[in-house]
Amino acid sequence: MLLSVVKVLGHAFFVMAVGLLFMGIGRRFSARFHRRYGPPVWQSYIDVIKCFSRKSISHHWIMDMGSVMGLAGLVAAAMFLPVGRYLPFQSTGPIIVILYLMPIGYLGMAMGVSASGNPLASIGIGRALTLMLGYEVPFATIVLCMIAAFNSTSLVALGQAQQAGFLSWNIITMPFGFVAGIIALQAMLAEKPFDTMIAPSEIASGPMVELSGKFLGLAFLQHSVGIFIETGLIVTLFLGGGPGIGLFILKQFLVYMLSLAINAIFARYRVEQATKFLWFTAGGLAFIQLVINMYLRSGTI
Amino acid sequence: MARKLRKLLAGVTVNERYGNRMELVTDGQRAVSTLVVLKSSGFEHLSNITCVDWIDENRMDVTYNLWSYTHRLHAVIKAQTHRDAPEVSTALDIWPQAQVYEREIHEMFGVEFTGNPDLSPLFLHNWRDIPPLRKDFDTEEYSRRAYGVVDGVEEAGV
Amino acid sequence: MLKVSREEILDGKFERVLNFFRSRSLWMLYYCTGCGAVELPPTMTSRFDMERFGIGPMATPRQADILLVTGYVSVKTLKRIVRSYEQMPEPKWVVGFGSCPVNGGIYWKSYATINQLDRYIPVDLSLNGCMPRPQAVIDGFVNLMEMIKKGEAVGYKKYRLNYEWYKRNQAEVLERTEPVLRPGIASVAKAQETKKKISIVEGVK
Repeated sequence: MLLSVVKVLGHAFFVMAVGLLFMGIGRRFSARFHRRYGPPVWQSYIDVIKCFSRKSISHHWIMDMGSVMGLAGLVAAAMFLPVGRYLPFQSTGPIIVILYLMPIGYLGMAMGVSASGNPLASIGIGRALTLMLGYEVPFATIVLCMIAAFNSTSLVALGQAQQAGFLSWNIITMPFGFVAGIIALQAMLAEKPFDTMIAPSEIASGPMVELSGKFLGLAFLQHSVGIFIETGLIVTLFLGGGPGIGLFILKQFLVYMLSLAINAIFARYRVEQATKFLWFTAGGLAFIQLVINMYLRSGTI
Repeated sequence: MARKLRKLLAGVTVNERYGNRMELVTDGQRAVSTLVVLKSSGFEHLSNITCVDWIDENRMDVTYNLWSYTHRLHAVIKAQTHRDAPEVSTALDIWPQAQVYEREIHEMFGVEFTGNPDLSPLFLHNWRDIPPLRKDFDTEEYSRRAYGVVDGVEEAGV
Repeated sequence: MLKVSREEILDGKFERVLNFFRSRSLWMLYYCTGCGAVELPPTMTSRFDMERFGIGPMATPRQADILLVTGYVSVKTLKRIVRSYEQMPEPKWVVGFGSCPVNGGIYWKSYATINQLDRYIPVDLSLNGCMPRPQAVIDGFVNLMEMIKKGEAVGYKKYRLNYEWYKRNQAEVLERTEPVLRPGIASVAKAQETKKKISIVEGVK
């Protein structure tokens, strides 16, 4: 019993540490895009430790509860994601559970931030939730594609079905789904062109406007766990899911670098433009993939 | 144009300057009627209202710059008032943009614009002294007393 | 004068461990008050990269460590700076950019700008120059990081412990009730006489 608690906690810290390392390497990578050196790769660890060492100002007990709920929802979702055939406790890695635990994270943060009473925070939360409405449509359609193709919602089974070499990866067999997945990933990670949520010069960093000290540290950790989960989902769904932990993290890293490369080039969409793009372009591609999967490849592979 | 204006306005000196500029000199009470006559003669655009403080001659000049699009002429109207209690009628009813200029001149020079409903301060925060752009306001002394002076540092060899 | 001076409140050993992390990731509040703000974009962007020290921009006072006062401070701006400074959570540092927060700069004779920022909020580091070049800015920030690591940058504690002194100075500027100069030197002769007297006194000094 104690061993399983230790395993779960250890996995949670491992997920946060890997997410923060990705953020640090990502900053250096985007800096090289801008032809300058960036901060060292362990910069995000220093940022989080510094955030927790400051005094913080809390406006209401709901703010405390909301911030913790934000992190807790995402960590719970990370428990069900198979990292290269390793899971902290026995489960079949169901997609549906992950899909409904992730919004608990964002809703918790929304609740905590809007308890501070700042109108900029309310605008930021409105935009963030509208964007979430936008990316859920293509992403849910992709999940339906997977269900139609493989007849199961288990990520473990999906990972095993792609083990027959490079050509059986879903990136080759379902290319439209992959493109739709990458577009939805940009919105989930809040990278440009879909980052109206953060938007520093417009609404003074949106939902994080009243967070100081330990709340900001929790928001950082939430972002890092979110990176881990979302890139992990794309890797498991499309890139074969890796036979070991090392290869899985390497593939996650490649997906994150691709998303950062797109981030470094584009400008920012407005919320209604972003939602329209996500629904019709990305959703349309995913819908085509769904039709292909349902009628041309019915049954398991 | 200058001849026409001399006929219309009695008691106002009209001088022609170089190019297409002319200058009119009147006093504070008749400034507004001069402006009305000029506007109806074709000077539609009020560019600027400013103020000059002639401390030696004990008067203040409220200066209006007008431009005429139809005739391509520029007119300067100098309304001279006494320095101790300056008072000019407002030009707000003729051109609404005069509101901001009159507020600024009231705050910085102390000129009273009769008929202007709102002459609240624009720039100065909690100001208790005489209006600061007057020539008898010693700004260096004010800065020294209000904000303190930092002593210079002796550099070696300078 | 100051009740508690700076030397008495340097950081202790446990704070120094945390200071190691705090000095490596400083977040600035870009409160670009005056004309000095124009030197910040060259420092942030590709040529004189400031992000490799971990210094980054943050949008609100609640998230920032450093309040950057760039350039002259008029009375209206001072009120807002004091409010932003008090909104920031501790530990926090103030960097005075340019000559104007030090002794008034080129606007020292003006009736609208204050001369010495250190009387109203505690300034930890001053950068000279009108405006300081990006190389000077980065040198200043490296000095600030050294000061934080050694535990000498304790302006926030000084503000808290000398609170009445700072508030009195602020009230003297912001909530004035009496005129500063003698009321109404109304005639030319008297004004010239006063000017002559002041210049004689200055010449003797």
